[in-house]
Amino acid sequence: MTTTAIPAEAKRAPAAAPKRRPKREREGAAWVFLSPWVLGAIVLTLLPMAVSLYLSFTDYDLFNPPKWVGLRNYVQMFTEDPRYWRSVVTTLTYVVVAVPLQLALALVVAMALKGMKRGKGFYRSAFYAPSLLGASMSIALVWRAIFNDGGTVDHLLGTGGWVNKPGWALLAVALLTVWQFGAPMVIFLAGLQQIPAELYEAAAVDGAGKWRQFVAVTVPMLSPVLFFNLVLQTIQAFQVFTPAFAVSAGKGGPADSTLVYTMYLYDRGFVASHMGYASAMAWVLLLVIGVVTAVLFRTSRSWVFYASEGDR
Amino acid sequence: MPGHRTKRFCASAAALALCALLAGCGGTGESAGGKVVLRYTWWGNPDRAERTEQAVALFEKQHPDVDVTTSFSGYDAYKQKLATQAAGGDAPDVMQLDYRQIDQYASGGVLLDLAKQKAVLRTSEIDQGLLATGRVDDVQYAIPQGRGTETVAYDVRTWKKSGVPLPGGSWTWSRWADTMRALAKKTGKPGATDPGQSEDAFEVWLRGQGKALYTEDGGLGFTTDDLTRWWTFTDQLRREGAVSPAEQTTQLDGSVENTPLGRGESVTDANWDAPASGFLALVPTGVALAPMPSGEDGTPGQYFKPSMFLGVSANTGHPKEAAQLVDFMINDREAAKILGASRGIPVNETIRDEIGPRLKDFDKTIAVYQASLEGKLKDPPQAPPSGDNALQSTFQRDYDQVSYARMSPREAAENYVTEAKAELRS
Repeated sequence: MTTTAIPAEAKRAPAAAPKRRPKREREGAAWVFLSPWVLGAIVLTLLPMAVSLYLSFTDYDLFNPPKWVGLRNYVQMFTEDPRYWRSVVTTLTYVVVAVPLQLALALVVAMALKGMKRGKGFYRSAFYAPSLLGASMSIALVWRAIFNDGGTVDHLLGTGGWVNKPGWALLAVALLTVWQFGAPMVIFLAGLQQIPAELYEAAAVDGAGKWRQFVAVTVPMLSPVLFFNLVLQTIQAFQVFTPAFAVSAGKGGPADSTLVYTMYLYDRGFVASHMGYASAMAWVLLLVIGVVTAVLFRTSRSWVFYASEGDR
Repeated sequence: MPGHRTKRFCASAAALALCALLAGCGGTGESAGGKVVLRYTWWGNPDRAERTEQAVALFEKQHPDVDVTTSFSGYDAYKQKLATQAAGGDAPDVMQLDYRQIDQYASGGVLLDLAKQKAVLRTSEIDQGLLATGRVDDVQYAIPQGRGTETVAYDVRTWKKSGVPLPGGSWTWSRWADTMRALAKKTGKPGATDPGQSEDAFEVWLRGQGKALYTEDGGLGFTTDDLTRWWTFTDQLRREGAVSPAEQTTQLDGSVENTPLGRGESVTDANWDAPASGFLALVPTGVALAPMPSGEDGTPGQYFKPSMFLGVSANTGHPKEAAQLVDFMINDREAAKILGASRGIPVNETIRDEIGPRLKDFDKTIAVYQASLEGKLKDPPQAPPSGDNALQSTFQRDYDQVSYARMSPREAAENYVTEAKAELRS
């Protein structure tokens, strides 16, 4: 036994020769590698956030030094500014219209693509393309041209230009988001492919039709993915800016109908030079998104089904 | 040792990344290849851009050691971008400024005292009264570039074909309104852009009644009743189809391209005379100028205003070269020939006398138009207070509520006056 043990030991020794460096040194290297990003996070994210929080308690017109006003911006926002509340209502309307429409469309297309035999790759890319072009200003401008008077939609439907009608402009903005359903679609597709085929077979044997299969198998099995998409898209929708900006040429018009929250924030900060007020608005938005996300997580307990729970 | 090298590599990589991060914070006026680089920005239309580029090319030829990078955009976008740049301490070396911006920019410390650059920037040939409009607290922060006044630009051929008598020497607001109604009836399209959205047009209307936008101490010079009357007047005209519908009015953004006249959807447009040259490219049938309507007793409301200014950033690394560029744009004869009246009739009196008779095409139209008003107009108001900068868009936005019939003229006027008072106080 001892005779065999020695060669084994000897064999191991060369492997251990470039021995692992002490933990602290390895951490040091990690920090060096990370430093550009850590520095970036501090200089480009944390610092501006801190400054913005400070500014939200001041009166700051960009040109003169900020004046401390305590909670005045917040008080004014909630009690004296009808346009603020209009922007809140507009944003909520937008979220409630755009997010469900977008998710429904993404799911329908994902299901259609899942069963497809030929040309799958082509259609997937085709439907995903608008999302790649995504937040770009150019697409929003094209959208404006399409819905402007004399534009394509006007020619086809004789609408006289949606983006210039207060009742329709927000819908034109929402449709731009709905159209960019590629990202949730890809996630849905991945989720759909995770659902075991046996479940559908078993359901079919039990006599379930297509609709029943969808309700009883697809939806519960897909609910974690659905939840993920819902949270992500809701957070994004609250921050909508580019399409509203482009469609209304930066004014939130016509008649404030596309004045979404971030747009009004921009208007206060950069058009009216009230940076303190704009900062206060930004912090309220952060809080609201936090609360909405928390509420979504709360309610998810009652409808999101994780496969692993079934074992318990 | 390999470990060693990796470590050193990491350190230098981190240092490099840090440099890249901080590079953005450097000062302005870096030199490229030993040349001084000046940034020069302005607002305007393609016509002005073409002439400015030509003039700048000539400046670069005269000053081989200076490289001028230029950029321009429409007025609304320009105003916002410049405010952001100025706030970040990154204002362009030479910038075009509006009357409304001087007060705010000067008091915010953005602008250089140009009197200190006297050696290269001559002001002796500029009308002293006009030159004074670029002063705040006795410091010359900006030099006026041209003289402008408001005008009714109209599509000559369409008007003539309609059979409605052409505008004569002067007209009152009520005669103007009747003419717009007649034009709308005969041509089938609105006579004018709805003037209700324009603070400038409102000012002309107010002054025609002996009132003003602002009082001398920077307060509001009119009442809710005044504004209600104005908006009731324009609202009525819009309902009759005599001026542009809400869907078109809301698209106005300060560029002539997006006015109903520029889009071929009305016969006239009230505008400043210098940008009106932009209509030539958009209205192929020809554009002519008529004066703005006056008060019912003939009191003129429009006035000669310094059309725009040139200022130099307080942070510029090259004050001398920047002042040279300003001097060139205002005092150089060759430049004046190129620029014509694209920024208003020149302020340099020698140049004005010399260039005036030689102006061609639309520049001549503008010169003749201004000459026809000489001696007839009242003095310009003092420069608007700082808060006015934001109120211009507020005015347009509140009128949107009227033209989309979401508010009565009185409700919108009350809104505006409330916000204006708050804005002027802060």
